[in-house]
Amino acid sequence: MTAQAVTVGDEIRRPTAIVRRLRRVSPALVLAWLAVAVVVAWALVPWLFSAADPTIGVSGQRLQAPSIQHLFGTDQLGRDVLDRVIYGSRFSLVGALVAVGVGLVAGTALGVLAGTLSRAVDDVIMRIVDVLLAIPSLLLSLSIITLLGFGTVNVSIAVGITSIAMFARLTRSQVVKVRHTDYVEAAVGSGGHFLGVLWRHVLPNSMGPVVALSALQFGSAILQIATLGFLGFGAPPPTPEWGLMVSEGRNYIATSWWLTTLPGAIVVVVVLSTHRVSRSLGREKRG
Amino acid sequence: MFSQRRITGLAAAGLAIVLLAGCASPDLSSSLTSSQGTPVSGGTLIYLEQGAPASLYATQSGAYTSGGINNNILDRLTWQDPKTLEITPWIASSWKVNNDATEYTFHLRDGVTFSNGTPLDAEAVKKDYDTYGLGNPDLKLPKSEVINNYDHAEVVDPLTITFFFKAPSPGFLQATSTINSGLVAPEVLDHNLDYFAVATNVIGSGPFTVASQVVGKEIDLVARKDYAWAPERAANQGRAYLDEVKYIVEPEDSVRIGSLLSGQADVIRTVQAYDEGQVTAAGYVLLAPQTKGVNDAVNFRPSNPLVSDVHVRQAIVKAIDLQEIHDTLFSDTYPIATSILSDLAAGYVDTSKYSKFDLAASKKLLDDAGWAPGADGIREKDGQKLVLKVYYQNPGGQPQTQQTLELIQQQLKAVGVGLDILSPASSDYATLLNDPLSTPLYIGDAGRADLDVIGTYFGFKNRNVLKNEDPELERLLAVANSQPDQDKRAKAVQDVQVYIAKQAYAIPILQEPQVFGAAPYVNGFTFESVGRPLFQGTWLAKH
Repeated sequence: MTAQAVTVGDEIRRPTAIVRRLRRVSPALVLAWLAVAVVVAWALVPWLFSAADPTIGVSGQRLQAPSIQHLFGTDQLGRDVLDRVIYGSRFSLVGALVAVGVGLVAGTALGVLAGTLSRAVDDVIMRIVDVLLAIPSLLLSLSIITLLGFGTVNVSIAVGITSIAMFARLTRSQVVKVRHTDYVEAAVGSGGHFLGVLWRHVLPNSMGPVVALSALQFGSAILQIATLGFLGFGAPPPTPEWGLMVSEGRNYIATSWWLTTLPGAIVVVVVLSTHRVSRSLGREKRG
Repeated sequence: MFSQRRITGLAAAGLAIVLLAGCASPDLSSSLTSSQGTPVSGGTLIYLEQGAPASLYATQSGAYTSGGINNNILDRLTWQDPKTLEITPWIASSWKVNNDATEYTFHLRDGVTFSNGTPLDAEAVKKDYDTYGLGNPDLKLPKSEVINNYDHAEVVDPLTITFFFKAPSPGFLQATSTINSGLVAPEVLDHNLDYFAVATNVIGSGPFTVASQVVGKEIDLVARKDYAWAPERAANQGRAYLDEVKYIVEPEDSVRIGSLLSGQADVIRTVQAYDEGQVTAAGYVLLAPQTKGVNDAVNFRPSNPLVSDVHVRQAIVKAIDLQEIHDTLFSDTYPIATSILSDLAAGYVDTSKYSKFDLAASKKLLDDAGWAPGADGIREKDGQKLVLKVYYQNPGGQPQTQQTLELIQQQLKAVGVGLDILSPASSDYATLLNDPLSTPLYIGDAGRADLDVIGTYFGFKNRNVLKNEDPELERLLAVANSQPDQDKRAKAVQDVQVYIAKQAYAIPILQEPQVFGAAPYVNGFTFESVGRPLFQGTWLAKH
């Protein structure tokens, strides 16, 4: 009897290889990937998920509470809120991509230059970066938008500029470390051209943490873009931008909670998911 | 010279037109809360205002943000009865007008003083009206838009003043009752325009004085204890019952409505149509005085090449389904516009037959004008797309501007006309808005219960919202603004409305009310003729 029981217990504790791998994957991470995948799909092929035009409302169906017909309810013009969230994902994701791109390219370039060129150049660049870091990012992006004008692309650029400082600092610290390694010295010593060495040896070996940072920045860029959209600096109506939807719905908060709550919840889910994914990426890189 | 009785007769004739015109619309001009029981003295009333006043200079207080304050701190020569629209005595106890409306003589009430002790006499009135009538460029004080053809004033004796005009100015008597003609202590007008941004600087003779101000946030008014010169028709002839009124600026609609219903505020301005149900369901009082002037409308700038063709403008007007806008966004408090003027405005005529919703006719007009649908459904001609830009600010001067524009955008799309709805930074807004080449559209309205309002709004030397020098329109407006015969003047105002409708210079949307929510214990809350709040007779019952 006892032996049998032990055997059963052993079977439970000795799962097959697949199950063991699945066990190591946390359910939260799976959900996070799923959420990101769904939103990416929304952005790429929104028409597969909704049949209706998100900018045309049905006036007889305004401000309807969530139901089977309208899962997220309808807004003040009778437009389906879920359709608008689906079509709006493109603006948020593309915006976040542009923002991370701007931060990544400009920040990395500045960081590499500061880490490799003369001390004077390093000082000048890093003091400029210090100034960028000293200004609150929302204030900085608002000032940039005032210069560039309103619009989704301009908002993305403004959000990107606020992250340049972070990318530049991180890249510089990595470059400084890598630059004094023996293989780089050897490459320079053996007559390698400065830019060639930079491109072939310094850059690839400094990029690991920078990639993890860009995944992290992606989530916060979505949040910042939504914030600026909420403040009215993003796309003009009737663009279904997430931040703008939350902003427009807030006047109805006492009577129609779904207008702010549901788009807001989607923003929260997406930002948390990208954060979770970036953490797992960073861990794999380290591991 | 006209006798005063004759003037009243004229006012009554004008009024008859108004009443005839007005009988078709529902009664929404409920201009006061209940006033049963004996008034209780004392207490503080909390009033939530949608926006902070920019300037309290009287001629600029047409905006309801500043007008709501000036209405309680500044008196006027005359009082326009909000129900009958008659001009009745206030600081002026009687007046005379000559036959061609070029000379007005006012006799002032004795013993009236400004809150700093300066007497309100003919000299003070002369200084005020010289400034309002002519402007003071040295001090950057602009001329008043309600006073036309002003020449000069003469002090006959300390309590008698005569105004002289270069040409007939038939709208002047009503102009003396408007908020734009609020009387201030003469020394205040020695300062430049910036001085009026500080509310405590503005010294009037009204039932309240400004005690303190937190710029952009709050203005505290306290009752003047020796106030004894209310309009002859006012229920309360003495000082205000309230001790204090706190004007608190709260731009968020949801916060204002929440504060009212939770008992943190007593009166709020601007209850949106979708919140009206909440107010009445809670047993609170909804007040919606009409503004009785130029309706909320999207006006065209014909000098912009996109809309210079009258057929294109007519097509756009016919593509707008006002009933859908009304049913989707508004309530019965907001009647559909049937002319550029409100049906409660003097000289109103129904021009809705020129702007009937008709998609087929609209498309045909655009086809005939050479605008053919492009690949994306938006019409184009000679490589140019028919996409109109419109600028707005949030919160704007009109209710639910953005939502209305989005619906219009949706409706115009059906006939292949694009609309770009843009909300520029406030620093750029005025520049963009005033350049007809940057935007072919202008959204606006004007509240004033007089035949003059249409000229003030469209006149080239006044607001000139169309930014278009159409000589025929100016000719019609000139008659409307200077014809001393009231009937001919009303006819001229009707001609202007028909001309604007035929030329499709504007898309009138709705007749704007000022919608207030008040707690049930607020009594005797009244308005001037176009819905600016007056707290002189207001009192708070026990609650």
